[in-house]
Amino acid sequence: MTREIDLGILFSRSGTYSLISEASRAGALKAVAQVNADPSLDITFRPVERDPKGNVDAYAPLCEEILQGSGARHVIGCTTSWSRKEVIPALERMDGALWYPTPYEGFEASDRIVYTHASPNQHLLPLLDYVFAEFGARAYLTGSNYIWGWEMNRLAREIGTRAGGEVLGERYLPLGSIEISRIVEEIADLRPDFVLNQLIGPSQYAFLEAIADLRQRAPYFAAGNCPVLSCNVTECELPAMGAAAEGLISAGPWFRNLHPALPGNFGREDFGSSLEAAGHASVMMLARLLADAPGSEALPLSELLDQPRAARMGLSARTHHTRLPVAIAQVRNGAFVPLRTGAPVEGDPYLTREREAALTKLRVIK
Amino acid sequence: MRRRLRIPDLGGARAAILHRPHATVTALVRQLQAIGLEVDCHWPDLPVSARGADYLFIDVDTAYDEQFPWPPGEAPLPTIALIGSEAPGRIEWLMTFGADAQILKPVGDGGVYSALLIARATFDARRELSGEIDALRRRLGQRQTVVRAVATLAARGKTEDQAYEQLRAMAMAWRVSFEEAADRIVAASTPPKDEGSTHG
Repeated sequence: MTREIDLGILFSRSGTYSLISEASRAGALKAVAQVNADPSLDITFRPVERDPKGNVDAYAPLCEEILQGSGARHVIGCTTSWSRKEVIPALERMDGALWYPTPYEGFEASDRIVYTHASPNQHLLPLLDYVFAEFGARAYLTGSNYIWGWEMNRLAREIGTRAGGEVLGERYLPLGSIEISRIVEEIADLRPDFVLNQLIGPSQYAFLEAIADLRQRAPYFAAGNCPVLSCNVTECELPAMGAAAEGLISAGPWFRNLHPALPGNFGREDFGSSLEAAGHASVMMLARLLADAPGSEALPLSELLDQPRAARMGLSARTHHTRLPVAIAQVRNGAFVPLRTGAPVEGDPYLTREREAALTKLRVIK
Repeated sequence: MRRRLRIPDLGGARAAILHRPHATVTALVRQLQAIGLEVDCHWPDLPVSARGADYLFIDVDTAYDEQFPWPPGEAPLPTIALIGSEAPGRIEWLMTFGADAQILKPVGDGGVYSALLIARATFDARRELSGEIDALRRRLGQRQTVVRAVATLAARGKTEDQAYEQLRAMAMAWRVSFEEAADRIVAASTPPKDEGSTHG
């Protein structure tokens, strides 16, 4: 007998980061449709959706509304770390679980959350390995003024310093600000080997425009020298950036035209970005954990992840993070072209595992 | 002053928990293992082997001095207090016993990672400071010896400044501290005491 299971969906459909959250949402809904059309599964999902509209204070009440007003125990949602941290108390109070399909800065392993996109050992560390080898280790760090930028840049400083590198400058912008001239002037003066950019939304778009302009007028920055790096730019933001994104190097678990996509996509590849793929994978993995086990929708997350089939999909019962492939890609002619790819690695949110030499494992794409 | 936190190596580090079997322990163990530590739980006594752990968690609600194989205030490892009851008597016990960080009970979904970082930094800073204080105390205690050594050297027809310089040169030649050199000068110039006479 088929069980119909309520499934919470909590993504912002407007606001500064809606390009990202819409991608995650599209992936999740794609998977819901796929599960519902799959006769081999004894479950279907009924989406229970709320839209926080990019307002961080709306996440916790809306998450609570989903858990209270429906049978849903699992919610796919949240884009920023800030909103993710906001919903944890609601999850604890209402006995719910969150599937979080966005790259983040690590240092968290909530018993209530499954982290299905990359954490720093799956994006930042391999990206730095790559750029140190190809461009040098003199860094300029910039980001939006909140936890993602601060923590990612702290990590980059620690890892860079350990590798004998140097941080020439570090500067932040308030969320949403496009006052990037000071940062760009400083970069023009300091001439770093690369710029690690953890800006988000409009700040990042304005920054890339200004750097593209700098490349026109300053020879040092021409011809692909001093690349701008990102750990969260995917195909879904390229249309908003236009030509200014040319040359940007990003890290993620997947880029279009790589085969296969994520382990949790189970062979499907028709996604616009890794964000959409991770949204899809979250729902697909949840469906596989609930299938053929009546009553499992009421199990605590820890027990659900303790099943052997969770480990087979790359979900760790210990950290609640996901084993994911690593790819580094560059924007060329408006699309990401892979530069390096690596086999799937376990998520290591506290960076406490022996770090395998990521670089030697990365495969050069000819 | 801006302190740059040195992140301790937590992968494979050992944590000892002294707490009766309880949901608090379950939540604590889960967080510690997620971070990458290995965990040993003990109750009601802490074995001497726990000295070899890297971190210790104690239950302030039920703890008493005899549970620990060391005197209050002398924990040989970073200690994190699990506080449930905020009764002043318990906090007083904790102040005497000493802890480097604290977590309020019930232990839920977080708090352990920051407690580990704070406990390690506080413990290291405390130990460094107490080492420094010991060294300063020792030097302070030897001040009188230095004065006597300079006086001894000066009595051989030197000015006080010359005697001081001579003592410094001796310390360098002997490769010992200034205070140690002074100690040797004083010992060499003092006739052995007749213990019987002082106690008449």
